[in-house]
Amino acid sequence: MTQSIADTFVLDEAQAAFVQRRVAINVASNSAERLPSLARAIGCRVSEDRRTVTIFLSVPRSATLLRDLRAGGGIAAVFTRPTTHETIQLKGAAATIVPLEESDRAAMQACAASFLEEIFQLGYKDPFATAMIAAVGDDSIGVAFQPTTAFLQTPGPSAGTKLGTNP
Amino acid sequence: MSVPLGHIRRCLEGAVPAVIATAAADGTPNVVYLSQVHYVDESHVALSYQFFNTTRRNILANPRATVQVVDPVTAAHYRLQLEFLRTETEGPLFENMKAKLAGIASHTGMSKVFRLLGSDVYRVLDIECVLGDASCETTAQPHLLPGLRACLACLTTCSDLAHLFDATLEGLDRHCQIHHAMLLMHDKAHERLYTVATRGYPQSGVGSEIRIGEGIIGVAARELTPIRIGFAAREYLYSRAMREGFEKGTDGGALETEIPFPGLADSGSQLAVPILLGPRLLAVLYVESPQELRFTYEDEDALVVLAGQLALAMELLTHAAEHHEDAAAATPPSAAQGTPVTVRHFAADHSVFIDNDYLIKGVAGAVIWKLLRDHLETGRIDFTNRELRLDPALKLPDITDNLEARLILLQRRLAERCAFLAIEKTGRGRFRLNVGRPLQLSDMQDR
Repeated sequence: MTQSIADTFVLDEAQAAFVQRRVAINVASNSAERLPSLARAIGCRVSEDRRTVTIFLSVPRSATLLRDLRAGGGIAAVFTRPTTHETIQLKGAAATIVPLEESDRAAMQACAASFLEEIFQLGYKDPFATAMIAAVGDDSIGVAFQPTTAFLQTPGPSAGTKLGTNP
Repeated sequence: MSVPLGHIRRCLEGAVPAVIATAAADGTPNVVYLSQVHYVDESHVALSYQFFNTTRRNILANPRATVQVVDPVTAAHYRLQLEFLRTETEGPLFENMKAKLAGIASHTGMSKVFRLLGSDVYRVLDIECVLGDASCETTAQPHLLPGLRACLACLTTCSDLAHLFDATLEGLDRHCQIHHAMLLMHDKAHERLYTVATRGYPQSGVGSEIRIGEGIIGVAARELTPIRIGFAAREYLYSRAMREGFEKGTDGGALETEIPFPGLADSGSQLAVPILLGPRLLAVLYVESPQELRFTYEDEDALVVLAGQLALAMELLTHAAEHHEDAAAATPPSAAQGTPVTVRHFAADHSVFIDNDYLIKGVAGAVIWKLLRDHLETGRIDFTNRELRLDPALKLPDITDNLEARLILLQRRLAERCAFLAIEKTGRGRFRLNVGRPLQLSDMQDR
């Protein structure tokens, strides 16, 4: 699906840094019958122009979600930093399924390691904590999308506020 | 194959945040965090509705949702396919979730932000373990049935209410590793609960009172449902200030605030279970722990079973004390010695002071005053429950009020506060007033 630049939400540098480290990522889509699908992701990469986000998903743990995305379903992804509750949600009209690039596995591991530090800080312990990032070793795939809208979801009076585009 | 909801109840304790995905009518997905996924029964869950947000708009337009929950021990992920049915804004389910949300909010520093608008009830259509294989099996949970069984066995040997109360709390301590517990009797006429037995606190707090509807004990009593929270919430703790706020209540006398409520100051987990005989509230069993997330759904199940047995035993022993009397025991000569002590009684609230020390007020205060007066006028020391029940001057609450429990309260307050006055059970429905020093009674009209 093609998109005009005007429909694109461009992440600012802080947002791009935020989504790539220390966050939990959950991705949703839905079928033509509007049945929602959902999976936890480990890590993502933001393109240099900050217009495209590629989220890394475990193939065995995300079967229904990947099927819905392949069928052209919209995508929503929520990123939250456990220690601060700082949360944003990005939405895109569609996503492309792409193979992982050479450096992506290292990015997944770095994201997983930084997430682990976060939850250790909150008092979660092993073996639970490490089991939370077990998918880092899975057969994985990328879902690339151009965000069209973004929302602040940090709990509070401003939760749900649409974030402005960053020209 | 779908996983039974009962198998993953611990994923619903709130230790790991859940996520909900919904879809707008035009197919735009939405994914956000959820404060609470609450187990209703084997085929229903309820989600907290706190804000009118996109999730809310979506489920009203398209009632399907997918929720992901995480096992707090194994980190196994489960996806629940849900269908929205209705929103409840009052009643047991709502109050239960409201109390739990207050705890979660307090735990996460969100007290000013989180407010429950409703409990959204969903049918569970399917539960998928994310890896879909045996690695998702939950690890063995501690078995509660042997402890419950041992606890119930302790109850069967009790021949009176006082022993029943103590055996219950001792059983929880010894067999169920529940070390802080109390029993509060229902005072229907005055819309409150009074503490009659406690275990695990530096001060027993017997005689302290809680208004129906206040805190998790009061809400459990009002809604007749167990209330369990894994992160204690400030607004549900019983501070002295909060309780004093109710002194100005207009519904039948001031709350007992002279006797501090004995609860843990650093309570982490709390569970209040109403003790019900059919629809009638007899009492509330309250347990707590300094540890967060100490009590599980299984603990709640176990205590509800215990409360059911306790209700039957209480009814049986109360009935015995009210309707049967053992023969009077031989009366030993009374031997009050030493310096006389002044006992003051204030008619307005039946508060009783020994010298200048507060003892008790309310029904128990009226009872001890009657006993002391009778003793001074006639020298009597032996009394029966029945005569107290029939005494018009006492104006006891109606017959459903547990007189035997009032006497236990009085007996325990005397044991704690006064070395020379005691109430001693001398048989079923019968007791003795032991007076160790000469008394002077002073009836005050105003305090």
